[in-house]
Amino acid sequence: MFKVSPLRKRQVIGGSIGLVIGILIFVFLSLDSSEEYVSLGPMNTGHEDISCVACHADADGNLSQQLQTNLSYMVGARTESADFGTKDVVANNCLECHDRPNDRHPTYSFTEPRFKEAVKNIDATNCITCHAEHHGERVTIPKINYCYNCHQDLEVEDDPLDVSHEKLAELEEWNTCIQCHDFHGNHTYEVPHKLKDTIPMKAIKAYFKGGEDPFGTNKKYYGLSEPEWIKTLKK
Amino acid sequence: MKIEKVTLEKRLFLYTLTLIASLLVLNSCGGVPEKAATTASAEKNVFSVEEVLEMVAVENDITRTLYTKAIVGKGKKQGMKFDEDWRKDDVEAGPLPALFLRGVATSIRKGPVPLGLYLGSDFPINNANKFEGKQAELFKQIKVDQKPQFFYDEDQKLHTAMFADMASAGACVSCHNDHKQTAKDDWVLGDVMGATTWQYPKDSLTYKATIDVLNAYSKGTVDIYMAYLDEVAAFKESEKPVIGDKWPAEGKYLPTPEVFLDSVRKLSSYGTMKKLIAAN
Repeated sequence: MFKVSPLRKRQVIGGSIGLVIGILIFVFLSLDSSEEYVSLGPMNTGHEDISCVACHADADGNLSQQLQTNLSYMVGARTESADFGTKDVVANNCLECHDRPNDRHPTYSFTEPRFKEAVKNIDATNCITCHAEHHGERVTIPKINYCYNCHQDLEVEDDPLDVSHEKLAELEEWNTCIQCHDFHGNHTYEVPHKLKDTIPMKAIKAYFKGGEDPFGTNKKYYGLSEPEWIKTLKK
Repeated sequence: MKIEKVTLEKRLFLYTLTLIASLLVLNSCGGVPEKAATTASAEKNVFSVEEVLEMVAVENDITRTLYTKAIVGKGKKQGMKFDEDWRKDDVEAGPLPALFLRGVATSIRKGPVPLGLYLGSDFPINNANKFEGKQAELFKQIKVDQKPQFFYDEDQKLHTAMFADMASAGACVSCHNDHKQTAKDDWVLGDVMGATTWQYPKDSLTYKATIDVLNAYSKGTVDIYMAYLDEVAAFKESEKPVIGDKWPAEGKYLPTPEVFLDSVRKLSSYGTMKKLIAAN
């Protein structure tokens, strides 16, 4: 059937083995059960059951079209580039499951020009600034003092706390904010009036790493599971 | 030597041929279809972004004034409650006008129209809503002449407009003056209490894109108003206002979302329509 020159025999055998191994690897990595081998790292807390395609949807067009689009974009023949392979994951992907009417710090609110300087320090327009995926944690921001970016002029009338909010800001005790206030405001819980009764930093750090929720389990809204999210798409 | 030269030329020829063939194959597929390519070619941009933002800002003024006067102001006189914490489980109240606007902005953000809407002031209830930088600078001028200010936000690549937010109803003045955390307690009717900031990515819009912007705003008002009605439906201890055709008669009455939107349209449609028709 095929005539192989004796001089090329080793090359053909090697090439064939390589092709078979390549196909096997491709098939293996394409299986749903192999997702953990493709993933950049363990999914964050609460995301363990989410499949890759929930966030990494196929990009528009085929590979050839994507290539042509980006070449055209590079030479200025098109106004917009195209995603390669899969679409970029953006804040809206997160909001499809996590958008809540009671969010006290929604990402879109930080696009206003007056937050320009704050956003340079902490890009609150993007969920991944604090919740970088594939780290097996809940909150990944390295420092917990982020409130100082916007709340330096804080004044609370009839301050209920034994050490005033103003004093805490003056002392730059920005780590204490999270000990009473969860950033997105989704927990229903009794806020303490004495600094000594606030949630210990150790518990907060453990929560950020994916541990027990120190604000309690009473939440007004819960993120959607993948099947629930799919239902919303069908609607 | 001659043989080598021929081989080199042949190779070069083959490489060039392969490259041309690859480019032809690549090109024959066409690129990823451009979004709204057909509309872009079929429709011309007929409004500048400033004109469109002015149109939607007028709709916003009318909507907010109607909500503040006919829903909040009137409702408060009847004992209905409106609160900044209206979303909290233990609070049975409706959204204050500033939060009504925030609700509209949220709804717009969730939709496909790339329109941004924000509210700020130099004396906000919440310090985090205080204008800074360029906005603070332009707001000073707005307070003087109450005229809109436009600028291009280079960082975000967004066309930005600011419009005066006036104390148009007694409820604006009394609520802000009496608020526990107010930074200013001598507001009077007609004051420039703050400014709305609007953002849009393009410098001009087609007729359809303009209608999309206006519709996104209208949808936003209906969404937040419906959220308020849902809140009312969940009242456990407070008396539930009657939702239906009794509004705007005196009493604990609220309009249906359709009637609310129709009331806004009745007040705003003539001006908006005139501008839309003038473009054709």
